[in-house]
Amino acid sequence: MGVTCVCQVPVADGKSVQQTVDILHKKLEQLGAVKQGSFCVDCETYQSTGNAGGQSSKLLYVMHNSEFPLSCLALFEGGPCLTADANFDVLMVKLKSHFQNAKGHKVECRGSRYRYCDFLIKVGTVAMSSSVRGISVEVEYCPCVVPGDCWNLMKEFMQSFLGSNVPELPTVFAAKPEGLFAPADCVDTMTQYLELFNKLRKLQITGSSVR
Amino acid sequence: MADVVTVGVNLDAFSHAINGIQALRSSVSRVFESLKDGMKNRETLEGREKQFISEFQDNLQAVNRDLTELERLSGLVGRPSESHPLHNSGLLSLDPVQDKTPLYSQLLQAYKWSNKLQYHAGLASSLLNQQSLKRSANQMGASAKRRPKVQPSTLVLPLQYVDDVISRIGRMFPDMTIELFRPNGTSAVLLQVCVFSAVLQNNLFVCSHQLDIWTKSQYQVFQKVTDHATTALLHYQLPQMPDVVVRSFMTWLRSYIKLFQSSCQRCGRFLQDGLPPTWRDFRTLEAFHDTCRM
Repeated sequence: MGVTCVCQVPVADGKSVQQTVDILHKKLEQLGAVKQGSFCVDCETYQSTGNAGGQSSKLLYVMHNSEFPLSCLALFEGGPCLTADANFDVLMVKLKSHFQNAKGHKVECRGSRYRYCDFLIKVGTVAMSSSVRGISVEVEYCPCVVPGDCWNLMKEFMQSFLGSNVPELPTVFAAKPEGLFAPADCVDTMTQYLELFNKLRKLQITGSSVR
Repeated sequence: MADVVTVGVNLDAFSHAINGIQALRSSVSRVFESLKDGMKNRETLEGREKQFISEFQDNLQAVNRDLTELERLSGLVGRPSESHPLHNSGLLSLDPVQDKTPLYSQLLQAYKWSNKLQYHAGLASSLLNQQSLKRSANQMGASAKRRPKVQPSTLVLPLQYVDDVISRIGRMFPDMTIELFRPNGTSAVLLQVCVFSAVLQNNLFVCSHQLDIWTKSQYQVFQKVTDHATTALLHYQLPQMPDVVVRSFMTWLRSYIKLFQSSCQRCGRFLQDGLPPTWRDFRTLEAFHDTCRM
């Protein structure tokens, strides 16, 4: 487990989503990266029912990541987060009366997984109910756990294949109480994915979407 | 000399033997002198040659005579007896079967040999030091005056000394904790540097709550750092001052605290073939990529 950065890549002008993804794959292979299978990150939304005091119901997101196949993450946006094993989904079914599954809101990100030296790169297409919303790229630098230490290094690497689309330091690291030098973990990765999914959910355009 | 060699030695024969050696030496040098001078001036060439050959033969015969005389005298001198055994090792000499297991004489020989070896090694090191091959980061000038005449053996160090040195080095680097393990009693010491801010967390697998330090890391970065550390261990060598060696090595190792933050001094970039600058120069501690180092 290392430091992860999840960012969105805009679709290239005049090209479809799939073509842009292919361009990224080609660039990675030119660098010397090796394809190592595929990955999938998905997120289901649950709405809590029966709230007391009339406050707006909070949304519970239950996420899975193929990188951690035996785990399941449940989090409120900006709030507490729970890491559980895969049986948590079954538990959610049992809690049907308290949490209702918003079935149309399931977001999935699927794509290929590449390995370059000590980096893991995942290029995926984000789809919500089978309509493609955008392209996500996740870069993980495995040997280091402290974002403050290796951010410059990761930025240089991302520049080599993303060009000008390099993102800024993810806010999830800066928002921690200890700042940039607290160790990163899988919760940070999934929080970044959640932010990306929510951003793409708000965009109502489908097909060849431009950011 | 007379204290060590007591009974069993004929002192008279000893002085005669010394005189014999001197005589032999002078006759040998006479041989070489006559060779150097060459043929003396005579009327005919034949005369000169004959004169030269006869002189040469005389000199060689003188050498022969002196040599046989010396051999005779050395037979008279006798051997120093081994009947005053040295402390505990003398108990080995009580074995009656002396011919089959000559333990004590072999022990004495081994001891003399190792002493000579140490003496010669000391001579060699002082000669080599004159060449100022400064391989250690710390200067030796000030401490050279304090070095005693007799080189202490650096292979056997007192326990307390090792503990003191390690704790001093530990205090020098507050963000590096050093733990000392002695798996084989007091004689063998295993030094372990553990938790080095957050950098090295990933190269030690936590396996059933015990740190696994022997498995190769799964990350190329740390494999490279391990290789460089092995090179550094070979580089920092100074037989007379082991604490300087350990301190230099620790200083070098500590420079890895900024493994992911430094850029290469030569090319200015962070990554080369996907690796950060993993090489630290032994003298200046600057960061270089493995392919960029001079």
